[in-house]
Amino acid sequence: MRKVILLAVATIATIPVEAHGQAWRRVAMSRQLDGNDELDVQVQYGAGRVTLRSVDEGLLYRMNLDYDEERFEPVAEFTGNRLVLGVDSRGRSTRITNRGSGKLELELARGVPMDLDLSFGAVKADIDLAGLALTGLELSTGASQSSISISEPNPLTMRAASFEAGAADFTVTTLGNLNAERIDIEAGVGSVVLGFGGRWRRDARVGIDMGLGSLELRVPEGLGIRLRKDSFLTALDSEGLIKRGDVYESPDYDDAAYRIEIDLNAAFGSVSVVWIGADN
Amino acid sequence: MTLGFIALTLPSDAQAQLREILAKSISVSPSEAELDLRFRDGSAFTIRLDDGTIFVDGVSSGSYTVGDPLDEAFRNLLGQAVALEDGALAELLASWSRSAELEELESARLIAEALEASVRDIDEDADVDQGAVSVSVGTESSLLELLVGSLGRLGALEEAMEGLDQELRLRIHVDEDVTIESGEVVSRSIVVIGSDLRIEGEVLGDVVVVGGTLELPESGIVHGEARLADTRILLNDGEIRGGLTDLLESERIMRSGLRERIREEVREELRRDLGNEIRSAARLDDDGFSIMTPFRPVIRGVGGVVEKLIMVLVLGLIGAGFFAVAGENVDRVAETARHAPGRAVMVGFAGTFLLIPIWLFAAAALAISIIGIPLAIAWLPLFPVVVALAVLLGYVAVARNAGEWLSDSSWPWTGWIRKENPISSLFGGLLGLTFAFLAGHVMSIVPLLGVFSILLFVIGGLLTFFVAQIGFGAVLLTWGGQRREYDAYDADPGWAQAVQADVDEATFGAESAPMT
Repeated sequence: MRKVILLAVATIATIPVEAHGQAWRRVAMSRQLDGNDELDVQVQYGAGRVTLRSVDEGLLYRMNLDYDEERFEPVAEFTGNRLVLGVDSRGRSTRITNRGSGKLELELARGVPMDLDLSFGAVKADIDLAGLALTGLELSTGASQSSISISEPNPLTMRAASFEAGAADFTVTTLGNLNAERIDIEAGVGSVVLGFGGRWRRDARVGIDMGLGSLELRVPEGLGIRLRKDSFLTALDSEGLIKRGDVYESPDYDDAAYRIEIDLNAAFGSVSVVWIGADN
Repeated sequence: MTLGFIALTLPSDAQAQLREILAKSISVSPSEAELDLRFRDGSAFTIRLDDGTIFVDGVSSGSYTVGDPLDEAFRNLLGQAVALEDGALAELLASWSRSAELEELESARLIAEALEASVRDIDEDADVDQGAVSVSVGTESSLLELLVGSLGRLGALEEAMEGLDQELRLRIHVDEDVTIESGEVVSRSIVVIGSDLRIEGEVLGDVVVVGGTLELPESGIVHGEARLADTRILLNDGEIRGGLTDLLESERIMRSGLRERIREEVREELRRDLGNEIRSAARLDDDGFSIMTPFRPVIRGVGGVVEKLIMVLVLGLIGAGFFAVAGENVDRVAETARHAPGRAVMVGFAGTFLLIPIWLFAAAALAISIIGIPLAIAWLPLFPVVVALAVLLGYVAVARNAGEWLSDSSWPWTGWIRKENPISSLFGGLLGLTFAFLAGHVMSIVPLLGVFSILLFVIGGLLTFFVAQIGFGAVLLTWGGQRREYDAYDADPGWAQAVQADVDEATFGAESAPMT
């Protein structure tokens, strides 16, 4: 605890120096749980670094922001069961720089059912949805370098999860822990890595729309997958998959405890299937 | 409703619990540091240090310098607050520990008190070992308004609360009127802030009223003391057994004295300004407008005429004096001026030009000669006097000549001038010589004729100058009238008379028979 306090003091005491045309502000916000039921959580962040974790300690959320107050203003609104967090643009153009860029560190309540909607712009995102009780998930990024993991199983059943990445270096691991019936992934230009590890508790449908780029499917052994490909000028490295008609199936598809059907639309890219250990 | 500030002024035995903080927001930038709290009861509290000003709930409440120890201490506090929530956060804010240096600062005390007041929650009617406190507040905002909006009143409250009977329980009312009904006996001391107290019954303890009215009708009795600050008292035969103390009386007296002084100064300034305005109008100053503005030209013109007439009178009297003591000298000068005006004016110019050099040279020569120093001492003041007399003598002589000339002329308004009377001639001549000035002053009264009046003034000035030069030159030529340049007898008038004489035929015919 003492270390946390010292870190917090240092965080507040060292305010970013004003860069030319920028006025940096640091904000720390938090809110206690107050008998909240299911939540509708929206997080919006334009440019910078984003980290998302779950938090216990009786908090609904905790958010630390570094932002340019001339261009952005913080948002923390809780009305009814709707929670909106992040920053909003003041209308000026956003200058994307590596030096002195903003930062969002967000922690959301563990175990509180929530429908989570994450909207990012040009970000470097490190998201771990472990511990969050998600009833729905939407994540969209613009030009980003995003790493999403679900290192603990979602305790609730999610009807659908969607990931939308523009020009992105996009990695999602342990999709099995989402506990989702349907997963949709839409990627424009970039490199996408989808990890199908985790603890699957049901069959699922995965839809992948891929533009120009590379797609890597990391499939754990023992998970049944059926890949239906509709692509144009897209190379498929289907090592370990058996082509049956116009689909590719894993060898133990029929015997697998849980089956994943993957609909792949791709153009001008490459798709590769990588087999990983069953524990990943 | 929290009453943290009451806890600060009351004996510390009042029980206070910490409020539940629902949400917090801490915001810092190079020039600003802000703490925003939301409580479970729906209320909120904000304290912000913003570029030198301390804001509590949006109200400017103090000042500081960016980067000073207070600013740093507050930011450190916020840094600690980031990692804490609810109870731990409330404890931190309620007991903000500060350095000894900051303990002395009014602003630091303000912040500490505001923080503590925001997170403390005093229970109503909480029983404690030494007395009980009953609290009642009129409106939700009244408490912090009192705390933040009027630090002066808080000071008065603190003073009023000193010396309260600590053995008795307290009843506190903020922003709500209180009436102790007839027959009712209150065993506590009563504190009323920002509202009115009417006592028809009895109060066994003390009474404190700040910023309101205390009314005691006939049946009202206060057994203890009544301590008032910024309060009106209506004592209708009611009784205050412990005495009445007006805590702000001395301040009131001082303020009254100050008001009186200011009033006097303003009165004096108004009197001065009014006097200046009247004097300015009387002097007919051209600065700005006054009620005399339309009449200035008339007054000025008439004044000018009167001034010239007085000058004529004075010069006439001087001339009369010359006639009396040196009549012959005047005659000689006048003759010379009449016969040779051109020569006289040239001599006059030369003399005028050489006046100062002669004066200074002669003084220097006398001073150098050592034995002439006494003479130099006399020379310096006397020479200008002699010159002035010479000029006057010359002017008077020429003026007499002018008067005689006017007498001989057929000009209007000159019939009264008697040539044979030198005084009459003198005055006539003086009036003639100043006529241009008189006409100029008269013309200046009439709007749009200002140019002509200026012209007349110029003519009058030139005439006066030349007359003075002629006179001065004639004085120099005649050595002050000592030397006769021209004979007094003038045959010309005799010849003129002889030529024009009418022949008396009777006389001529009787005395001269034809010669046979």
